[in-house]
Amino acid sequence: MRDEGRPQLTGARRHAWDALVDQADALSSVHLAELFERDSERFSSLSRELGDFFVDFSKQKITDETLQKLVALADASELSAWIEKLFGGALINETEGRPAMHWALRAPYKDKILSHCSGGREHSSFNPDAVEEQLVRLQAIVEKIHAGQWRGCTGEVITDVVNVGVGGSDLGPLMACRALEDARLQDGRRIDIHFVSTVDGSQLSHLLNVLNPHQTLFVVSSKSFATVDTLYNATTAKGWLSRHLGDQRSVMQCHFLGVSADVNRMTEWGIFPENQLLLWPWVGGRYSVWSTIGLPLALILGGEGFRRFLAGAHEMDKHFHTTPWLENIPVLMALIGVWNNNFLGINAHAVLPYDGRLKYLPAYLSQLEMESNGKSVTRSGEYVSYKTCPVVWGEVGPNAQHAFYQLLHQGTPRVASDFIVSAHRYLGSEYAEEAQELGRQHELALANCLAQSRLLALGEHALPSSTDRPMHSRCQGGQPSTTFLLDELNPHTLGKLLAAYEHKVFVQAVLWDINPFDQWGVEMGKAIATETLALLQDGGKWSDKGADGVSETDSSTVGLIGKIRGE
Amino acid sequence: MHFDVYGDTLCAVVTAAALASTGNYIHLRLPNGVVAENLTLGACPYKEPGLADLLTEQLKNKRLCIGSADGLPEDNVHVVFVAVSPNAFDGVERLMEELAALPPRRWLLINQSTFPVGSTANLEALFFSHLPDDSSASLSAVSLPDLLQEGAALQSFMRPTNLILGCDDSEAEQDIREILSPFNRRREGMRLMRPSEAEFTKLAINGMLATRLSFMNDMANLADVLHVDIENVRLGMGADPRIGDAYLYPGCGFGGLSFSRDVMSLAHTQKDAGVHSALLDQVLKINERQKEVLFRKLWKHYKTDLKGKKIALWGAAFKPGTGRIENAPSLTLIDALLAQGAEVYVHDPMALPALSERYKNYAAVSVSDDAYDILHDADALILVTEWKEYWAPDFDRLKASMRSPLILDGRNIYQPEYVRQKGFDYYGVGRG
Repeated sequence: MRDEGRPQLTGARRHAWDALVDQADALSSVHLAELFERDSERFSSLSRELGDFFVDFSKQKITDETLQKLVALADASELSAWIEKLFGGALINETEGRPAMHWALRAPYKDKILSHCSGGREHSSFNPDAVEEQLVRLQAIVEKIHAGQWRGCTGEVITDVVNVGVGGSDLGPLMACRALEDARLQDGRRIDIHFVSTVDGSQLSHLLNVLNPHQTLFVVSSKSFATVDTLYNATTAKGWLSRHLGDQRSVMQCHFLGVSADVNRMTEWGIFPENQLLLWPWVGGRYSVWSTIGLPLALILGGEGFRRFLAGAHEMDKHFHTTPWLENIPVLMALIGVWNNNFLGINAHAVLPYDGRLKYLPAYLSQLEMESNGKSVTRSGEYVSYKTCPVVWGEVGPNAQHAFYQLLHQGTPRVASDFIVSAHRYLGSEYAEEAQELGRQHELALANCLAQSRLLALGEHALPSSTDRPMHSRCQGGQPSTTFLLDELNPHTLGKLLAAYEHKVFVQAVLWDINPFDQWGVEMGKAIATETLALLQDGGKWSDKGADGVSETDSSTVGLIGKIRGE
Repeated sequence: MHFDVYGDTLCAVVTAAALASTGNYIHLRLPNGVVAENLTLGACPYKEPGLADLLTEQLKNKRLCIGSADGLPEDNVHVVFVAVSPNAFDGVERLMEELAALPPRRWLLINQSTFPVGSTANLEALFFSHLPDDSSASLSAVSLPDLLQEGAALQSFMRPTNLILGCDDSEAEQDIREILSPFNRRREGMRLMRPSEAEFTKLAINGMLATRLSFMNDMANLADVLHVDIENVRLGMGADPRIGDAYLYPGCGFGGLSFSRDVMSLAHTQKDAGVHSALLDQVLKINERQKEVLFRKLWKHYKTDLKGKKIALWGAAFKPGTGRIENAPSLTLIDALLAQGAEVYVHDPMALPALSERYKNYAAVSVSDDAYDILHDADALILVTEWKEYWAPDFDRLKASMRSPLILDGRNIYQPEYVRQKGFDYYGVGRG
C-alpha cells in the first residue's frame, strides 16, 4: 500500500489517472517561471473571486490542460453525485452510519427546512427546528453573560469563561476566537476566554492560580462527553470550585455549561439540564465550530456576529454546491492538492498565514485535513495503492520565515504552500491612534507574503541578476503555492475560508475514495490509553480482554511503566 | 435685571426660578426634551421641595419665561448663565460663536455646567476667536460650580453655606456679587479662585465624598466576613474629629446623575492628561459592585433560585427627597432580579413615574403607591432608599402579609436584633 504505483483503478478513473501521470511527465522539465513567461494572462486566468474572498492559483504548476485532466478525474470519481449525497444528508460516513451535515448548521433557517424536505430527513436526527432552537439558546446564554447577569453561586458576575475541550472542541473555538478578536462585540461586558485542553493539566493548573472561582464559568465541550482528556480537566475544575465555594449543587448550577451530543452522559456528570447545549451525531468534531461548540466564539462576537460567521460559511456552501468545477474554489483547491500530492510527488503542505491573528489556523487545518484524510483504506475496504493526505503543518508566515523557510527555499523535500493574508487591516476605530504605524506593519507583512511566495515559485528567476551565484546561495524555486487574499479578516471571510477548506477535504476524499468523516485510529488510541492508565495506577498485569485485541504486552511499555513506578 | 439661562438641568431650573424670585427677568432657554415639554405645560420637571410652587408663581407673574435653546439673548441682556448637561459642550461652543456675532456689549458668561477642567477659559477664548476685528464687544467667562444637593436644591441655592466662584476679572466679580447678593446675605460664603480651580474643586468634592462612601462599603464587606457590626464602627470613626461623621454611611451604593458622573468626569479628566486615577477607578468599581450587594445576599439566601420569587422593593429614587433614578442602585438590583426570573414590586413616594417609564416593557415589574400593598405574598422585602416613612414600619403587618419574612436592609436603618425578634430573617450591609 505504501508504494507509489499505478492504482488498482478501473474504467474512467484509471483512464483519467493515467492521463494525469502523462501530463506530469510532460511538465517535468518545465519550470514555473517558464509558465509565467509563456502566458502574460496567467494571473487573471488562474485566479478566482467570491465577493470579499480572492484566490490566486497561478503560482501552482498547472496549465489549462492540467485542469481539464483534473476535472476529468473528478468526473470519473463521480464528484457531482457525492456532492449531492453530502447536501442530501445521505449516510456518507458509512463506518459510523451517519450523514455529515455540518453545512446544515450554517444555513439560514428557511434553507434548513428546505434541505430537510429535500433529503436531510433521510437521517431522523436532523431537525431544522432543533438546530435553530440550540442556536437561539446559545444566543440567550451569550446575552446573559454579556449583560453581566450570569451569576456564580455567590451571586458574583461571571467575568471569565474557561472552555474545556480537546480536538475539535478546542482547536476550532480557540482558532476562531484568536482570529476574530478585532470583531469583539463592543457594547457587551468584556469576558475573558481561556482554553484548557491538554490532559496533563498544564493549562488548567496555571489558570486555577489566576482565576477567581466566584467569577469563573466552565464550558465542558465534548461531543461524546466521554473524552478522557476533557473529563479529567473538568473534574479538576469541579474539585477546585467545590473547595472554594462549597455547596456542590449550586456550583454545578452556576459554574458549568455542557456542550455535547450525549444528554445522558452530560446529566450523569452533573450538568444541569438548563445548562446543556446540544449538537448531534451528524456533526463531526473537527466540523463542529459552527455548532454550539462555537460558544466561546459567540462570546467574543455576540449572537449576531456569530451568525455572520455562519453566513460566510453558508455563502461558500452555496458556491461549492452550485458552481462548475473550473470556477469552484474548494474544488480547485482539492484538485490542485491531488495534483501536487499524487502526480508531482509533493507530499508536504504548509499553511502560512501572514497575520498573527491566524496563529492557530495551521493547527486547525492540520486537524481538519489529516484527521479527515489520513486514511489508507477505500470506502470498499481495500488498501489504497496511492498516497492520500499529505503532512499538513504551518506557522504564522513572518515567524516561520525565521524558522523553517530555509528548508522550503533550499532543502530537499518538495513542499506546496497556502499563503493567507488580508488586504486591509487596522481600519477599526480602536486603532485610530496608531493606525499609521500599524498600517505600515501590515504593509510589511503583505510585502513579505508576496515576496516569499514569489521566491518559492520562481527561485532565482525572481532576482534581478541570477548569474554567477555561488552554489550555496542558489534557490531553485519550483515550490508551488496558492495565495488566499481576504478583503479583511472578519467573521464573514473567516467563515468562508474555513468552509472552503472543509469542502476541499471532502472533494479530495472523493478522489481518493476514502471516508473523511471517521477517525478510527484516534478511537483506537483512546482505548489503549484507558487500559494503560489502569496498568499505571495499579501496576497490575495487562487485562486479558483488551479493546480490539491491542493489549499484547510489549517489553518497551512494560519497561517504561516499571521505570515510572520506580520498580 | 434681564438674564438668560441656558440648559435644562436641575441647576438651570433652580437658578432661573431663584433669580426670578428676587425680581430679575429671566429667559430660561431649554433644549428639546422632557424638561422642555413639562415646563411648557407649566409642570415642574424636577421633584424638589418648594420648586414647583416657585416656578408656578414666577411663570404667572411673567418674571420667568420659557424659550428654546436655539434662541439668542435680546439686546437688553448681557449676563448669560449656562447650566447644560456635561455632554452638551458642543452647543455652548456654538453659543459663543453666535454671541460674538450679536450687537456688541460687555458679556458676562456664568458657567455652572460640569465640563472638563479648563473649559470655562476655553469658552472665553472661543468667543474672542470668532469676534470681528473691529468689534467693541468683550466677554468674561466665570465658573460658578453647581454645588446643589439634590433633594434640597432650592434651599442650597438660596441659602448657600459655601459658594465657589472661579473668576479672574474684578469687574465680572463685582457683577456676580451683585447678582447673588440676595442669596449671600446671612454670611459671606463666597470663595474666589481661578475658573479652572473652581471647576476642579467641584469635581474633587464629589470625588472625595464618593471615596468616603466606597471606603465605608469596602469596610462593610469586611465586617460581614468578620462578624462585626459596621454601624458601631461607623459611630466610633465619626466621633473622631479628624474624620467627622458625614458621608460615612455604608449601604447598597450611591447613585444620582451628577454624583456618579462627576466622579467619572474627574477620572476622565486625569486620564486625558495621561494621569490615571487608580483610586477613583476603584471607587467607582466598588460602588458598582456594592449596588449588587443585596442581590448577592438574596441569591445566597434562596440558594441561587430566584425564579418566580416575588420581591418587594421599598424605594427606587437614588436618595430620599428626589424622584430621580439615574444610576440608582434600585435599577441594578431590578435588572439582576429580572434576569433571574423574579417578579419585582416597587413602592417609592416620588420615583414611580420615572421607574414605570423605564420598565414599561417589563411585565415582571409592578409599582404601587401603597407600601404595604406590594408585600402581599412577598418572598423578600428590600429596602433600597431610606425615605422617612420606611423607618418605623408595622413589622407585625409585614410578617402577616409576606410569604417569607425576609428583610434586606440596604441602608442599615433597622435594628437587627429587634427585627429578628419580630420573626424576620434580616440582612444589613456589613452587620455581621
